[in-house]
Amino acid sequence: MQILNQRRTTGALLLTALCTAPIAAQDVLVQASKIVVAFGAGETKSTTLADSALLIRDGKIAFVGADIPPEARRAARVVDYGTATISPGFVLAATTLGRDVDLGEGAIAFTPDLRTAEAFDPWLEQLEQLAPAGVTAFGLTPSARNVAGGIGAVGKPGKDRGRLLAAEVFVGFSVSRTARNQERQPTSLMGAHQMLRESFTEARDGIKIGPDLAVLRQVMSGQRPAFFYADTFAELNAVLEIGASFNFAPIILGGSESDRVLQKLATRGAGVVLNTLNPSMRLAELELPAKLTKAGIAFCFAGRPDQLRLSAALAVRHGLDRSTANAALTRTPATILGQQANIGALRSGCGADFVVFEGDLLDLGARHVATWIDGKLAHGTLAHSKLAHRTGPNSKPQTNISGGR
Amino acid sequence: MHPVSGPPIKNGVVIIRGERIFAIGQQGDLQLPPNTKVLKFPDGHIYPGLIDASTDVFADAALRRDRSLNGGSVIADGLTWTDSRDDHLVEHGITTAYVNVRTGSQLPGQGAIVRPRSGGFELWEDKQQAAMQLRMTGGNGASHPLQRQAQLEAVSKLFDGLDKYIEDQEKYEKDLEKYEEDFKKYLEHHAKKNGKDKKDAKKPADKAGDAKKEEAKPGEAKPATGSPAGRRGRRGEGRPPRREPPKGGEPEELVPEELTPEAFEQLLATMMALTGKPAAAADVQGPQGRPSRTSPQGKPSATAKPGAKPAAAASKDTGPKRPTYPKKPREDLQKEALNKVLDGDLPLRIEAHRVDELRAALNLQREKEIPLVVLEQAYGADRVAEDIAEAGATVVLTDVLPFSLGAPGDTRNAYAKFDPTALPSKLNAAGVPFAIAGGTARLSAMLPMMAAAAVGRGLPEDAALRAITLTPAEILGIAKDTGSLTRNKFADVIVTNGPLFASDSRVLLVISKGRTEYEAK
Repeated sequence: MQILNQRRTTGALLLTALCTAPIAAQDVLVQASKIVVAFGAGETKSTTLADSALLIRDGKIAFVGADIPPEARRAARVVDYGTATISPGFVLAATTLGRDVDLGEGAIAFTPDLRTAEAFDPWLEQLEQLAPAGVTAFGLTPSARNVAGGIGAVGKPGKDRGRLLAAEVFVGFSVSRTARNQERQPTSLMGAHQMLRESFTEARDGIKIGPDLAVLRQVMSGQRPAFFYADTFAELNAVLEIGASFNFAPIILGGSESDRVLQKLATRGAGVVLNTLNPSMRLAELELPAKLTKAGIAFCFAGRPDQLRLSAALAVRHGLDRSTANAALTRTPATILGQQANIGALRSGCGADFVVFEGDLLDLGARHVATWIDGKLAHGTLAHSKLAHRTGPNSKPQTNISGGR
Repeated sequence: MHPVSGPPIKNGVVIIRGERIFAIGQQGDLQLPPNTKVLKFPDGHIYPGLIDASTDVFADAALRRDRSLNGGSVIADGLTWTDSRDDHLVEHGITTAYVNVRTGSQLPGQGAIVRPRSGGFELWEDKQQAAMQLRMTGGNGASHPLQRQAQLEAVSKLFDGLDKYIEDQEKYEKDLEKYEEDFKKYLEHHAKKNGKDKKDAKKPADKAGDAKKEEAKPGEAKPATGSPAGRRGRRGEGRPPRREPPKGGEPEELVPEELTPEAFEQLLATMMALTGKPAAAADVQGPQGRPSRTSPQGKPSATAKPGAKPAAAASKDTGPKRPTYPKKPREDLQKEALNKVLDGDLPLRIEAHRVDELRAALNLQREKEIPLVVLEQAYGADRVAEDIAEAGATVVLTDVLPFSLGAPGDTRNAYAKFDPTALPSKLNAAGVPFAIAGGTARLSAMLPMMAAAAVGRGLPEDAALRAITLTPAEILGIAKDTGSLTRNKFADVIVTNGPLFASDSRVLLVISKGRTEYEAK
């Protein structure tokens, strides 16, 4: 660890420092030769700073680059990552943290008003695996066992314990085999489809009130994103049909056969949260990210957190551009979860959640140096071994630098 | 250009003539021979063809499941080109691969070295039986350590009886030689006794003797399965040369070609005439001492019975007795191969995953004095790296991708604790030669990404590149011909559009043995 205390020791300046101590003592200035403020996707360009810094205050990004006030810069603790690159932390769009049973009511198939936040355990062992994988935020989803599983939350891991960022964010549905393979209705895809249709129709046209119908009305009004577990062509068709009938854009969870409904997905404005990729998959699945991007469909990854970066690298190997792949790890899932103001970027006001890599993180040869969550080191080291000599701290932002290669 | 055998060369040039590399160097330093076809890649990177030291490419599903394979099975015999996605290795820059299968049997055959082609493959000459596979692992299932240890120790029993097998083979050779001599004497004796037909009878016998002399010259011919130096003196000089068994498993016919059945019957008739007994009525035997199945007229003899004694009149003869043909010991291809392993003619590739399995493999190497041992899928090798280095073994690593063996913290998965991406760096530090391999045909395409993953965990880039080029060539015993961009090696060259370890690097050109096998469109 190399912390450079830049506070002066003279009496006069000590007085000044003491005056500013309540704020400045908590500030951390993190420097690196390259800082990616936000990755671009599609039309949006990446925002990258060369030889720059972030000022962290109260666990959030207070200032970035040239916006950092000189006095705050002087008062802050400095952590220098030398030649490494700082990027926004990864966002795992959907996970049950291995708690499928606790996040799905077995006896009743339609429970849209249950809250996953109530089953969240901040000391779960699975949370400890997230920071080493670069994951700084996650969507806590109901499991796929119920046709309507409940309201999902957004959480964050930490060095010691996790926490919830937002308790009620999206609604989880499922038409997958898991949802209809129970000892209760529905037992078929037709049954699941009918159950969804009847419930949404009741919420739209009926006069009944209740928490379950209220949740469905929020989905139809666009207040809450609706996540649907669906993989096969038939399941995807069913979900898109429901979305079209009740005028909302579903987010597909899984979607391994999305390439067969690309046009429909694009027309409906649906997003896709793909399962993490592995090299043994069918070629069609490995090429799916590139195909979705070409069709203008937003996608990101969910599944095993330790495979998140490999998934993006495999997508790049199979034709996806680096900028979109990086965005699929950060900005896109944050947007899909409706949390783009808090996570997925390193703009002022966002959580100080970032990863540090020596090299381009999409190349497996890049070394993962550290993960910071809420302004605290959650994994890795505080400084990189290679300290770069930089000419000046007030660097200017450079845009349209997507991969740094 | 990254020659691997030396430092990278900026603006590098490789000159290919025929199948071989004629020269390498920097642009401007080399004089191009006249009429040279020039291929330019201004932004490209040139590497030697990649070598996958373990893959099941070209092995169809049936072969991959065949549990009947044993140490004598030759995998090369079962390889086929199916034109599936996994068969197009050459498009990923792989110009050489060692093919083996993991069927679950303890000795899943002898692997082969192949050259993937654009529409097929070519077996590497003299390397169709490149190594013997041995499985010394119980896999990922739960098992008691003591039970596993007992199973591992039982592996050494595979090597039991090899000395006896060799002794039996050698005894057979000697008996065969003695039989030939005795039979010659036997024929000569009776030919002499038959003064009238002496000339006719002696001629074939002499030729038989000549043929035998030409065939058996101790010390000159090398046995098919042994080395001249011999292991522990068993295969030293003086050992009679092995006779290759005839096809079909029948004992070799020792009657020289000149001694036709007609000549033999004539000889027999002469002998019978001397005893004063009609040949048709005698209990006669063939030239190998076996009962003759035909009468002199070519019809089955009613009196010819297996094991029947010679005619009483013949037994009264004071001359040499008719010799008995020696019994040939049962041929065992697995034992033949295991003997090659012990002699150092065939490397033994041991699949061992956990630390105790690796220790057992090293114990086996030490106890049996096995010269060439390659450890495969050695996930726990970092814990015994020093022992491996001391034993002189080499390692072929597979699954070198992040958490490819299981999610971290998964207590139900015994392999989740292994970190296959960190292993190369640790072995490199310990001085253990290792190759990074695909393991399966599907993962062979990921070879550069696997090497890159190792770089991400601390392995130097040059060592990672070596692990998929020159080191596997050394492990496979083909380093004099491939593995680096070196003059006179085969022209196995690939060109990529960026650094090989970048995720979006694409193969632009693949040349294998001087022939263009793939060119990106």
